[in-house]
Amino acid sequence: MVVDPQFIWNGLVVGSLIALAALGLTLLFGLLNFINIAYGDYMAFGAYFALAANVGFGLPIVVSILIGAIGGGILAVVVHKFVFSKFMDRSPIVLLVVSIGMAFILRNVIRIFWSTDPQYYAVPVEEGPSLLGVTFLPEQVAIIAASLVVLGLLFLLLHRTRIGIAMRAASDDTDLARLRGIDTKRLVIYISLVGGIIAAFAGIMLGLDSNLRPNMGFIALIPIFAAVILGGIGDPTGAVIGGYVIGIGQEVSVAFIPSEYKPVVGLVLLIIGLLARPDGLFGEATR
Amino acid sequence: MAVSFSLVMVTLIIVGIYAILAIGMNMHWGDTGLLNFAHAGFFAVGAYTSAILTTEVTETGLLASRTVGFDFPIVVGMIAAPIMAGLFGLLLGITSIRLEGDYLAIVTLAGAETARLIISNEAWLTSGVQTLKNIPRPLDGSLPAFLPYDLFYFGLVLLVLLGSYVLFRHLANAPFGRVLHAIREDEDVPKALGKDTGRFKLKSFALGAAVAGLGGSLWAHYVYAIQPTMFLPNLTFSIWAMVIIGGAGSYIGAIAGAVIVTGIRQITRFLPGDIPLGNELPYLRLIVIGVLLIAVLYYRPYGMFGDKERSLAGMSGGGE
Repeated sequence: MVVDPQFIWNGLVVGSLIALAALGLTLLFGLLNFINIAYGDYMAFGAYFALAANVGFGLPIVVSILIGAIGGGILAVVVHKFVFSKFMDRSPIVLLVVSIGMAFILRNVIRIFWSTDPQYYAVPVEEGPSLLGVTFLPEQVAIIAASLVVLGLLFLLLHRTRIGIAMRAASDDTDLARLRGIDTKRLVIYISLVGGIIAAFAGIMLGLDSNLRPNMGFIALIPIFAAVILGGIGDPTGAVIGGYVIGIGQEVSVAFIPSEYKPVVGLVLLIIGLLARPDGLFGEATR
Repeated sequence: MAVSFSLVMVTLIIVGIYAILAIGMNMHWGDTGLLNFAHAGFFAVGAYTSAILTTEVTETGLLASRTVGFDFPIVVGMIAAPIMAGLFGLLLGITSIRLEGDYLAIVTLAGAETARLIISNEAWLTSGVQTLKNIPRPLDGSLPAFLPYDLFYFGLVLLVLLGSYVLFRHLANAPFGRVLHAIREDEDVPKALGKDTGRFKLKSFALGAAVAGLGGSLWAHYVYAIQPTMFLPNLTFSIWAMVIIGGAGSYIGAIAGAVIVTGIRQITRFLPGDIPLGNELPYLRLIVIGVLLIAVLYYRPYGMFGDKERSLAGMSGGGE
């Protein structure tokens, strides 16, 4: 059975988007231990910050992306400091419900400021070169390249810097990390910043791939959560692999099932994954 | 400011139907501690089941048109809707009920979206993304002249709401409910006492789903026409807000929460259109609901009528 290589290429693009978003989510999830429904809205906010810079102020797209990403990071820190941190002594489920309220707030703030119409970045629309029957659109190449760069930078951060190693330690066992003298409260702020930046970056890439809508991040959440859970919560490598598995799985499935149903692939992989390996694909137990 | 009678009745009917949904959710979360994020899906399955069973096939001639329709009496739809929604709940539960809290939330959310995807794509059965139209209204045209239709329908909704309230409160206080409460507090305890907790959780899941399906049927027969975008995950989150604000574990609380949240969402209908920020009002009221949800969790973790015995299951610190 031969699968059209175009599907695989598209899968790599979608997989990069999911992997990137899942990476930020798993970082937050690993340390804070609750499902943050507002994560999708961090993504959307980042995308709209970049839109404001790009279309509103006429800045070049690369500069706009940086502004949007940093804006998303600051947003995540602010939300954490003023909302989530007040609930840290409660159960994860309370935090989950708080994040639902937060998602309502953020999404509707976007609707008020930027309206509900789909919007686009000011980037030239070009035809992509074709090779071996596969069309490579420039924004697709940019998405994959940029995602790989961000993934690489994050792995350097997590493995080569003191703060990154502290993040991983705290994600593994918060109490133990605190005993060893890591200031976990401050660390949570850093993680929120990094998680927010990655979320925003993923949101911007998503906006580049298609368009911007206020619920764009929220709609993208299910495959992202599937990737996080598939990879084992709090496991960055697992989240990235989970993201690519789901992205490629979804796009390649088009060869076998009607394309309307490709979102189900993520769900099926998720259920199989959860039932077969409750701690994730590479799973020692993370929680 | 003229507040028209019909607008009040429409709002009350919507409140009533949402309260029925909140009752189902309260069985899941309030009594059993299950994180159900599929409620919009159960509502949709009920609405579509009832609509398909009671309508004729319409020849729209446009795109893919529906080829299945049974034209049964409305009562058949209203009986079948909770059964189908309950079965869907059972199916979803069988795959996921043994998962831990947060995992269950994600799988049920995805399950409901899958149901919506199927509804959107199987046009032969559901009219797909187009509206499924001409859903009959019970006793339409045969009411006595002095009885406005909306008043009659509100009476019907109220009757179903009261029936569900009495039934679910009874279940919650019966031995069945006590096992559910024990599962919510600490599943190991009823398990140690020989209760098959998986079965109890499945029953709770199916019952709550069924009543949501009944609500869906009432919705379909009131609004004439339904479409998949009525059943987005936001609806599920609104129902969550109702149960939390009203107080998890309390059926009166669930109803009160439905009144408050729906009230906030509908109140602006009663304002004149030319007030400042008129265009932003729909978004502002969702922001208000978000703020209210967070404020209630902060200042009154038990909600307005919450079950104070509900100590360990989530709402306070301590247990996971």
